[in-house]
Amino acid sequence: MDAESPRLRLSILGVVIVSMFGALFARLWYLQVMSAGQYQDVAVQNTTKVVYEEPPRGRILDRNGKVIVDNRTSLVVTANPHELDSSGKRDEILFRIAQELTRSGRPTKVRSLERRLHDPQYNPLQPVPIAVDVPEDLYVFLSERAEEFPGIAVNREAVRSYPYGAAAAHVVGYVGRINEEELRARQGTPDHPKENPKPYQPDSNIGKEGVERVYEDELRGTPGVRRIEVDSLGRVVRTVEHRPPRPGNDVQLSIDIDIQVSLEKALAEQLDLVRGGYTSDGKIAAAPAGSAVMLEPGTGRVLALASYPTYDPSEFVNGISTERYQELTRNPAENPFVNRAISGQYAPGSTFKLVTAFGAMSSGMINGNTSYVDGGVYQLMKCSGNCTRQNPNRQGHGTVNVSSALTVSSDVFFYWIGDRFFWEADRWGQGLQSAARTFGFGAKTGIDLPGESAGNVPDADWKRRTWESLPPDQKAKGDPTWYPGDSVNLAIGQGDMLATPLQLANAYAMFVDQGVHHKPTVVMRILQPASEAADPAHPAVIREIEPEVTYTADMPAAIHEPIRQGLLGVASSGGVFTGTAYNAFRGFDTKAFPVLSKTGTAQVNNKADTALYVACAPDPEYKYCLSIVLEEAGFGGNVAAPVARRVFEPLAGQQTEEGSKPSVVRSSD
Amino acid sequence: MAVGTLGTRARGDATSPFRHVDVVLVVCVAAIAALGTLMVFSSTRGTGPAPDTSYLRRELAFMTLGGLAMVAVSAFDYRKLFNYVWLLYGGALLLLVLVISPLGQESKGAQAWFGFGPFQLQPAEFAKLALIGVLAALLSHYEGDIDPRRLGVLLGVAGAPMALILLQPDLGMVLIYVAILMGMLLVGGVRGRHILALSLLGVVAVIGVFNSNVLKQYQKDRLTAFVNPESDARATTYNINQSTTAIGNGGITGRGLFKGQQTQYQFVPEQETDFIFTAVGEELGFVGAATLLVLYGIVIWRIWRTALLAKDWFGRLLCVGVLSFLVFQIFENVGMTMQIMPVTGIPLPLMSYGGSSIVTTFLALGLVLSVHMHRFR
Repeated sequence: MDAESPRLRLSILGVVIVSMFGALFARLWYLQVMSAGQYQDVAVQNTTKVVYEEPPRGRILDRNGKVIVDNRTSLVVTANPHELDSSGKRDEILFRIAQELTRSGRPTKVRSLERRLHDPQYNPLQPVPIAVDVPEDLYVFLSERAEEFPGIAVNREAVRSYPYGAAAAHVVGYVGRINEEELRARQGTPDHPKENPKPYQPDSNIGKEGVERVYEDELRGTPGVRRIEVDSLGRVVRTVEHRPPRPGNDVQLSIDIDIQVSLEKALAEQLDLVRGGYTSDGKIAAAPAGSAVMLEPGTGRVLALASYPTYDPSEFVNGISTERYQELTRNPAENPFVNRAISGQYAPGSTFKLVTAFGAMSSGMINGNTSYVDGGVYQLMKCSGNCTRQNPNRQGHGTVNVSSALTVSSDVFFYWIGDRFFWEADRWGQGLQSAARTFGFGAKTGIDLPGESAGNVPDADWKRRTWESLPPDQKAKGDPTWYPGDSVNLAIGQGDMLATPLQLANAYAMFVDQGVHHKPTVVMRILQPASEAADPAHPAVIREIEPEVTYTADMPAAIHEPIRQGLLGVASSGGVFTGTAYNAFRGFDTKAFPVLSKTGTAQVNNKADTALYVACAPDPEYKYCLSIVLEEAGFGGNVAAPVARRVFEPLAGQQTEEGSKPSVVRSSD
Repeated sequence: MAVGTLGTRARGDATSPFRHVDVVLVVCVAAIAALGTLMVFSSTRGTGPAPDTSYLRRELAFMTLGGLAMVAVSAFDYRKLFNYVWLLYGGALLLLVLVISPLGQESKGAQAWFGFGPFQLQPAEFAKLALIGVLAALLSHYEGDIDPRRLGVLLGVAGAPMALILLQPDLGMVLIYVAILMGMLLVGGVRGRHILALSLLGVVAVIGVFNSNVLKQYQKDRLTAFVNPESDARATTYNINQSTTAIGNGGITGRGLFKGQQTQYQFVPEQETDFIFTAVGEELGFVGAATLLVLYGIVIWRIWRTALLAKDWFGRLLCVGVLSFLVFQIFENVGMTMQIMPVTGIPLPLMSYGGSSIVTTFLALGLVLSVHMHRFR
């Protein structure tokens, strides 16, 4: 071999080596110069974690600043099912936890812990609360022995507290853990995340009902953000940034908690008294439910709103069990979560006569002096067959005009008006229905609470459409035609006319406010959190929720005055005619505190009547309009009006024997 | 014989070995070793208030030991080694047998270590030198005239330690041996068509091994993961994704010493050993990483040059053997951290934490220095 051979072979080796180093340099250039940005992003994601701290919710105050919904600290023991399983000592840990809970004064069985862990309402990937409000020493005990109890944690959580107990539950609502749907609505999906200044985590709480739900964006605070750097094992290396959580805004209601408490008490006790007894027409009163709304005329603000049966929102603190929830909602007729004051739809009965009277007068059919002889029975015009309608017990009231017809609740007078609206439609048009709509019936009021119903104002069109939407096999049983009987029924608020208690109170409030219709509201203002106010007793107002006038109807004195006089007579004994609520207000000084009101009794198939009563007081400077509805309870004048009297007495500065307890009286409506 | 006496006597003598120390090589090697020590410290100091210096202290001890060994070896005339290569080779084979006996220890899936208290000795590292010595001795004896029988002898001599290492099994180490063998055969005068045939045989063998049960599944996974690293979150893909992220995160100028998130928070597994290059890439950036590659390049160039200048076949082939394993280890290790080579457990010479590798590399460089110093005598 010649001497050049090794040199050549070394050169070949050299070329190979140079190309290898060339490849390394090229790759290094690509990674560090051309794509560095992309890898730098990954590196930051690797090491930076963001931990959110739940903020305290804003409080809910009544109109005088009394705290209805507050916050307190609760010590909650949670178990992480996944960590329990992977610890391999699940049974032993649960046994020891049950032991410790029992020792701390809350007897617990492993079986009940297991039931809780398997409750379908909890996300199995999240820690499940297994004991709430545990004593401080158990907190210390478990915190010090964290490594003995893998998967078990004790946390301090800010939870809701209710200084007035269950009062105003249907107004304030309750909070609960956010569900997937709510989370998606507020945070978007992983592919399409939404910017949210108050971000939610899967274990965040959110308002589920009532003001808690509607004013969620105000009540929710701004979560604290802790941006931390972690190493590859997830250990915290340092805190890069910490923004502490900020509490949510306080919400001040227009509710007067004192009136609210007395209204709820009067309503519940009255239903208890009525339940199981006989009504004046001989039926058994089941009295399963009832509701009441008190508005402030002139503003539409809600002073009190009660729905019976009710629930205790504190049951939702730390989560209500599925069994308990099912137990509460088993019977739909007694479901406490239904807010009957705004979603219950009832035939208004004679309380609707305000509307009929207004419709007849404003269309020009009658005036304040138009009289009619009420002999207790009404003969339908141009009628063959079953052509008579009558007052309760066929009791005649003699010659009545619109005022006295309202005072005594003469059905015959209003049958006559309804009959004429049918036969003289070419002259008076759809006067009944348009009057109903003028007073806000058939449409949601727009109150700032969830779940409101619109009610129904029936007319010929509606009747036909309803029939057309029936399945074919049921059309034979139905009937698309609007008959004189339909108009007559509507005139006295029976049949397919449906109203919510809120609509009734708002209609009467509109009447006493000379035709000004308001959107009812339960919230008056949004306040700065007390903890951030310079003077905690006088937090700054962030936002006033001003009364909102939806529209104003023309209500001339010639129409307004006869109706007003008639309705003022309902609760008083003035003159020849005795009002249908006179007995309910016997002993109450209606001269000092004049009550404008109307009783109502709506028939329900095969059940006791719905008792209704709507009252505004005191005339002429009205401060309160109250509607009361008692389901399957009897005559409005007998059972509903006494509730109003009980509530009015302290507001009127009166105190009587009858007005201090539930009572049932006799009346004719 | 004292070094001082030699130095005194050497003055004025143009052929004295001590007038021909390759200063460029020594300086570059020292620079790489210093950088390696620093980066091992950076990747092991931890995040606590007081840095963990245990790795640093051990690494300094290895480097000192290695440096002294290099100086000592360079002072000896490499030709004296010629008479002992078979003894060394036999000793190496014995150790490789012992290490797969119950005397050896298993770590990371390979039975490759002897334990001495806190230290571990990896005989396959030192055996590299024995193989280089034996192959250099044989090839210099053949003087470029290699018939198939002689080739068979060469392959048999190289195959014995490789087979023993495959039993550990340490695939990466076997590949280093293949690199040594191929490099030395190329320069040693094996005919072109034989080299081509051997290469083909190698490809067939790799395919065969892959389809047999010689490799464990994790080894196959490691070798193939680099093809599609984003495919899943297995340990290997995690490792090389974190590795590439660390290097990319460095950018042009790096995050700064002790300031790389991936490095300081230990996101790259095995960073102080096989993935030490990622610490350089992240904290010192393209500037630092390229400088390191340039330093390696100079070292390689000086070894290549020594091979060219060597006065005999034996010296030249010793240099080529050292050159081959250094180039292969650098290319495979750095390439692996950047996802252009499969993941194998091969240390980066003079950088990765680990006594056996460091001392072996210094010994090998000592041989090269000796060849350089003794080229006129």
